[in-house]
Amino acid sequence: MNESIPPTMKSLERRESARALIQTRPDPALPHVLDVDHVTIDIHGKRIIDDVSFWIPKGEFLCLSGPNGAGKSTLLKAVMGLIDVTSGTIRIGGEDVVAGHHKVGYVPQRKAFDRDFPARAIDLIVAAMRGKWPQRIRPDERERAKAALEKIGGARLIDKPLAGLSGGETQRVFLARALVNDPSLLILDEPTAGVDARGRAELLDLMAQISRSDELAAILVTHNLAAVAQTAERIVYLEAGRVLCWGLPQELLGQESLTALAGFQGRDHRAAPDEE
Amino acid sequence: MDLLSEPLAFEFMQRALFAGIAVAAVCAVIGVFIVQRGLAFLGDGLAHAAFGGIAIGLFLGASVEHAVWIAIPFTAAIAIGIGYILRRTQLRGDVATGVFFSFSFALGVLFLGLRTAADRPVQVEHLLFGNMLSVTPTVLYVVVTVALVALALTLLLWSRLAYAIFDPELAAISGVPVAVLEYLLLAETAVVVVVAVKTVGVVLVSSFVVIPAASARLIATTLGRATLYALGIGTLGAAVGLIASYHLNTPSAATIILIHCAVFAAAVAWSRIRR
Repeated sequence: MNESIPPTMKSLERRESARALIQTRPDPALPHVLDVDHVTIDIHGKRIIDDVSFWIPKGEFLCLSGPNGAGKSTLLKAVMGLIDVTSGTIRIGGEDVVAGHHKVGYVPQRKAFDRDFPARAIDLIVAAMRGKWPQRIRPDERERAKAALEKIGGARLIDKPLAGLSGGETQRVFLARALVNDPSLLILDEPTAGVDARGRAELLDLMAQISRSDELAAILVTHNLAAVAQTAERIVYLEAGRVLCWGLPQELLGQESLTALAGFQGRDHRAAPDEE
Repeated sequence: MDLLSEPLAFEFMQRALFAGIAVAAVCAVIGVFIVQRGLAFLGDGLAHAAFGGIAIGLFLGASVEHAVWIAIPFTAAIAIGIGYILRRTQLRGDVATGVFFSFSFALGVLFLGLRTAADRPVQVEHLLFGNMLSVTPTVLYVVVTVALVALALTLLLWSRLAYAIFDPELAAISGVPVAVLEYLLLAETAVVVVVAVKTVGVVLVSSFVVIPAASARLIATTLGRATLYALGIGTLGAAVGLIASYHLNTPSAATIILIHCAVFAAAVAWSRIRR
C-alpha cells in the first residue's frame, strides 16, 4: 500500500487560493517538446509525485519551483529516464523517454563528478557526443566541442583540466556539454548552486539568452528569484508532489505566499547568498 | 647482457617473469579504475577474501592449487557484497571493504584451525607472501589466461567504465549500464586477485593494483594516458624487480613492489615540480 503525502491545513488553503489565481497555459496549437501527463511516481512505497500534468511548447523557458521535498528532482529524473513512473506518461517530442533521451541536454545540480578524475573540458563534451568516455578525440569532434563552448563564451576552456576550473567555468563546460547534441529540451537543475556571485551573474545572462531562443525549450529548477525573474516564460509550482499552479511569472510571482514557500533567495542575484 | 641472460637461462625464472608481467599488467589496468573509484583498499580486502576462500577449499580436502577454484566464487561473492553495500547504503568503500576483509580473514583462520593433523600440510607463509619462483607451468597457464581475458574485457569496456566512474548519473543518462559495470569490475578484480595471490601472495597483491595506478594518476592528464602509464610502470617494474631480485638474492615480489614504490616517489616529485 502506498503512503501518499498528507495535505496540511495550510497546503489545502494554498490549493484553494491557487485555484483562484489566473493561470495562463501555453497555446495548445504550439508544437509540444515535453508532455507530462497524469504522472504518479512511488518510491519504496512512498508517493513522491502525485498525478502531475503539464507540458512545454517549443522554445519556452519553464521554471519548475517549489519547496524542498516537493518532488522536483524526482520528476526531472523521470523525464531523463533514470526512474520509472508508476502511472501516467512522459513524452519528449512525441516519443517515450527512452527513445527521446537524445533530445534532452542536462546540466546537473550538484557536481557529482570526481574532481580528481584526470579529464579536460573537451573529454566531458565528447563523452556526451559519443555516450562513452573518449580515449582519442577526432578533429571533427574537437570542432563540435569548440563550437558548443563558443556558444556559451567558453572556447578558451577547451583543453583546461576540469579540476582547475572555478564553479562558474565548470557550469559553462557542463552547459556546453548539454548543448553539444543540439537538444530540443534543456534541463537545468539548480545550475547556479555553488557558483560565486560573479559566475552566477554570468550564468544568469547565459540562461536569459537561452530563454530568448525560439527553438530550445528549457526547464530550470532554482530557488533563485533573480533567475526566475530573468528567465522564466512560465512557472510550474510543485508542492507535496502535486502541481499547485502553472502560469505566467507575472501571474504567480506577485503571490507572497508562493514566493516565501518556494524558498526563493535574493531579488538581486548579485547579492544572492550561495544556494548550496 | 649477463644481467638478463644469466637469470633467464633458468626455466623457473622465465616462468616467474611471464607470470609477474601478466599479473602486473592486469592489476595495473584494473587498478586505474579501482583507484579512481576510491577503492584502493579493495585489493587488500579481496586478497584476504581469497585467503578465506582457499582456507575453505583446504578444509574441504582440496590441495592449495585446487582450492583456488573454491576461492574464485567465494571472493567474487565478497566483491559483489562490497558493491551491494556501496550502492545501497551510505557507507564509504573503505568501510564496506574493511568489514568484508575482517570477515573473510577470520573465516580463513577459523577453517585453517579446524583442519586436523591428518590433513595434508599447508605452508601458510606461501599463501600470505606468495612465491613467484615456484610458479609451475600449470599455474603460469592459468595466470596468463586469466590476465589476457581480464585485460581484453577491461579494454573493451574501458570507455563505458571510465564514464561511469567519472559521473554515474551522467553516464546512466547516456545509456551506460552503470550498476552492471560496477559489479562486473568488482567481480573481475576478485578473479584477478585470487589468481595473483598464487604468485605474489595475499599480503602483497594489492600493491600491484594500487601503486602503478597511483603513480600513473600523478603524472597523467587524461585517463587514457593514466591507463597506459600504469601498464608501463606495472610491467616494467615487475621485469626489473624480478631480475634485480635474482642478482640481489632478495624475495621477488617484495623487490618488485619496492621498485614500484620508487617510481611512485619519483611521480610524487615530478607532480610537485610540475605544479
